[in-house]
This record gives sequence, C-alpha cells and structure tokens, in this order.
Amino acid sequence: MTLALVGVRKFWTRSATIVSLIIAVVLVALEFVLVGVSYRSASAESGLDTSTFTWLLTFPGAYDAILALSFEFLGIVGLIYVATVAGSEWSWGTLKVAVARGQSRWQYTIATFASLSILLALGLLITFVVGIVAAVIGGSVAGLPMGNIGDLGTLGQTLVKLARCAIALIGLTSLGYAVAMVAKSQMAGIGTIIGYFIISFIGPALLPDFIRRVFDYLPFSVASNAIGLQGPAGASSSASAGALDPNVALLVIVAWLVGLLAVAAISVERTEIAG
Amino acid sequence: MTTPATMAIATRDLKKSYGKQIALAGLDLDVPSGVVYGFLGPNGAGKTTTMRLLTGLIRPDSGSISLLGRKFGASHEHILYDVGALIEAPSLYPHLSARDNLIVFGATGKRVSSARIDELLELVGLRDRARDRVSHYSMGMKQRLGIAVAMLNDPSLLLLDEPANGLDPSGIVALRDTMKGLAAAGKTVFISSHILPEVEQMADIVGIVSAGRLVTQGPLDQLLAGQALVRVKVRPDEVAAAMPLLVGLAGDGRVQISDAAAGWLSARIAADRAADVNRTLAAAGIYASGLEAGSDLESLFLELTAPIAPPQAPPRPGAIPGWNSGVAS
Repeated sequence: MTLALVGVRKFWTRSATIVSLIIAVVLVALEFVLVGVSYRSASAESGLDTSTFTWLLTFPGAYDAILALSFEFLGIVGLIYVATVAGSEWSWGTLKVAVARGQSRWQYTIATFASLSILLALGLLITFVVGIVAAVIGGSVAGLPMGNIGDLGTLGQTLVKLARCAIALIGLTSLGYAVAMVAKSQMAGIGTIIGYFIISFIGPALLPDFIRRVFDYLPFSVASNAIGLQGPAGASSSASAGALDPNVALLVIVAWLVGLLAVAAISVERTEIAG
Repeated sequence: MTTPATMAIATRDLKKSYGKQIALAGLDLDVPSGVVYGFLGPNGAGKTTTMRLLTGLIRPDSGSISLLGRKFGASHEHILYDVGALIEAPSLYPHLSARDNLIVFGATGKRVSSARIDELLELVGLRDRARDRVSHYSMGMKQRLGIAVAMLNDPSLLLLDEPANGLDPSGIVALRDTMKGLAAAGKTVFISSHILPEVEQMADIVGIVSAGRLVTQGPLDQLLAGQALVRVKVRPDEVAAAMPLLVGLAGDGRVQISDAAAGWLSARIAADRAADVNRTLAAAGIYASGLEAGSDLESLFLELTAPIAPPQAPPRPGAIPGWNSGVAS
C-alpha cells in the first residue's frame, strides 16, 4: 500500500499526467459547450429533432452523457498515458533500481498499476465534475432548464455508475500497461493500442457475424457495456451499445484486469533486466 | 584461505551467455568483507554482467552466488536489503527532485527514514539543490544522487559501476574518502571501473576480468610488487631498433610499445635493472631521453587483458595506433 501511495506522488507531477488530464477535461467540457451552441442554432430551424441535444444538456440525462464522454476520452488518453508511464519504468531504468534494492518484482508491478489506477479514478472524478459544470453552462447557452440535477435518487445511481465507470476505465487501461510491461517499451504499448482501436472500429464492419461477436468480449466493448449507461429515451448510450448485459460485462472487464495484470507481473518476474 | 561464508561476495563457476555470446565463462570471485575491491576489465569483459547477476537483474546459466555469506538466487531478493547498487548510469525520475527520488526509491526494498535521506543529501553535497528537478541537474550531480540512492539502506555491501563518472575533482576526492570510510567501518565496497588511477588509489584488493574469466585477484600491493616495469623513451624512428635489444633483456612477450608516436616502450624487468636497459641501448647507439622504473596498475591491466598478437613493426610516423595495437613479442 505504501508503495502504491508513493507511486501516486511519483506520477502526479509528471507532465504526462497533467497533459492527459487536461486533454480529457478540455474535450469533455468543449463537447457540452459546443452542443449548447449547436442547440441554439438548431432550435431556430423548424423540423429538426433536438431530443438528443436536450438529453445531453438536461439532468439527469446529462449525468449519463458526461460519464459516457468521460469514459471515451479518458479511455483513449488513459491507455496511452498508462503505456507511457509503464514504458518509462524500463527506459529510465527505475524498475532496475527497485529490483536491485530487493523489491519483489511482482509486487512492484502491481503497486505501480495501483498508483496509476488511483490517478485514473481521480482523473475520472475531475473530468466528471468539470463535465457537470460544462453541461450546466451548455444548457444555459442553449436556454434549456437544468432539470433534476440534485435529485438524491439520481445522484445515488450516478455514483454507482461512476464507480462502474472507474472499474471499466482501470480494466481497459490495464491493456496498455500489460503490453508496455511485456514489451518493455512505451512505443510498443502505444502502437499496440492504436492498432487495437483501428481493428476495433474496422473489424466488426468487415467480419462475419460469428467472428464479430468476439469483439463484444474484447476490453473496449466490455468496458463500455460495463458502465450500464442509458442514451436518449432509455436507449443504450453510444458508450454502451454492445451486446453484453452490463453486469456480465463488468465481470468480464474485471477478468481482463486480473488476467492482464497477471501477464504483466509474470512477465516482469521472469524477464532479464538489462540496460 | 577465507571460506565463502565469510566473504562479502563469492561466486563459483558463474556462467552467463546471451545467445551465442559468452559473457561469463566460469567466474570465481572472492571479495572479503570490509575492503574496497576494484573490479577491472576491458569493454565486454563481463563486468556489467557480473553486476547485474549480483543484483538479481539477470540470472546465471549455471554456477552459484553468495552475498554476505548467504546463498543468493531468484527467491532470495531480501538479501539485497543489505546491498546497495549503482549499475551503469544513475537511473532516476527526471521530473522529481533529489529528495523525492530518494523518498520514492526509499519506499522500495528496505524502508528508509527521512533522517537518512537528509543525511545522504548532505553526504553527496546536494542538500542545497535537494528540491530542484533532477532534469535540471548536471551529469555529475546525477551521479552523486545515484550514489546516494545506492547508499539509501546503509548497505553492508555497496556495488558501484563507474562511480567516478562525471564527478568533478572534489567529488572524486569525496567519493574516495567515503568509500575508504565505509570499508574502515567494516562495510564492503565493490567498484567496477575503467579509471585505473582511481582504483589504484581507492582499492585494497583488485580483480581483473578478461573474456568472462577472472585472470587475477589479490591485494593491490602484492599484485603490483610482482609487476616490475621499466619504461624507456627513445626517438620514434629508433623504436624498431630498440625493441629486440629490450626483448633480449626482458624475454619474449615482455616488451610492449606503450606509445609509438612518442617513442615509449615498456619492459617487464625488475626496477633495479633500469641501468642495464640504459647501458644496452647506449651501446647500440640509442640514447634514451626518458627512463622510468616501477610498477603500475595500468601496465598490469594491459598485460593481463591484452590479446596475444604477433610482433608488430613500428607504425609509420604520424600514424594513429589502433585500439588493439601495442603488444609485441
């Protein structure tokens, strides 16, 4: 535990941490403000369906929208960030120092990811809070009522979804961590993630249906489904448009998390540390 | 003979290969406790591989390692709680300060008190810059911090790879004093270095490794005592003529061109025969402009680690000697 908390101190001041957070926060905030501006323009034109805009900018629907966007932006940024940090443990030789001091390799591997998980959860919380403020601003720009922003029942459900979102985000980013730790390289981690995203987007459209179902069990799909978000009029949101039930998806993403961390820990335990 | 149990480091028939490349071909090291041990060898001789094996970063193909009298293997990492190491370049978090680096590394392995961190910052002369980012440090300052990291747990055995790298003269003197002080306090310092004069001033015992094997090991003064040497300087165009005369005095394989351009030759001859060297050369019409008698670690190192080469003609005037040149029969 001490190692994980010291790790938070170690990573918090890294420019990669701050830049990643700023990117995610700015993207989420911009999305809501721009939607507000767009709504005002769109509502002036008769015949346009503005229900999605209303869902995005009016609470409690906005809570799900904020979580969906926070997850999507933080998911991509977080994967790259985690791979960057994991890879730098090799390139800077700092893992070597810890091992030479008698630190257990697998404990160090798990503790480092625990530190990153704490930072990711904090990043999600900050992005979520900024998203609420941005949605309120977007709503006022659009001239929409705020809705039930402070309803206790909604807030309770939202907190549960926020927790599920944090688990999903941590599970998803463990992919970048494992790849970077096994490959001992930032670039390998980032490159694999970019490749994975391209395949995730293109693959389902090109592949036969029975193979396409495999994608429903891959990290990004299960992580999206695990949050259990609702879209406009009760439909699944864009971030949770998969086939798996949210609770099953949550179990699958936790299984991915445990499996990927085990792969990372075993790899570090067995590998020779040179350089 | 000291047994491995009382040795700070003892390795037996230690072997390590990287693919077909043999890094260590059966290393038998004996490093007694409470000494500064100089571990020398040319590039690629196996020094860094040995350091990595001693800190568990890599695992041997075969052979055994004993640290501080205890068997060291894959599941014995806790032994490293009593070992400190600086391997190759100092590895630090560049975005953190010196103090934060020490705090972060102090949380790994054996836990370290904040008082110890202050003590080390003072010792390595970084107290005034302790809150600055390491990315703003000079190479020498990073080296000082790397040494502080190695000493965090007040180790009984300190392994240092090229510790004087980047240090200014005052830093080198302080390093030397610190290492000697640690040995005087009963701790063992194992230094791998290319800077032979530094090792000569610091080490009590020296081991020389070449092609993955230990070629000699023992107290420095004893090794140098058996290393009598006479160096003579002649005109560069007389090097070829002087060579057979010196071989006649010293014997085959005991004469070497130290610096062809300057006309320096070295002969393994007892110091009290320097006058014979001078007389023999003068009798052949070659007048030495310089004559030095004694012994040094550099000559011992070169003799023990140089590959055996056929006799060489002296290089043309102005030619630059190659990195493998200089050995003559």
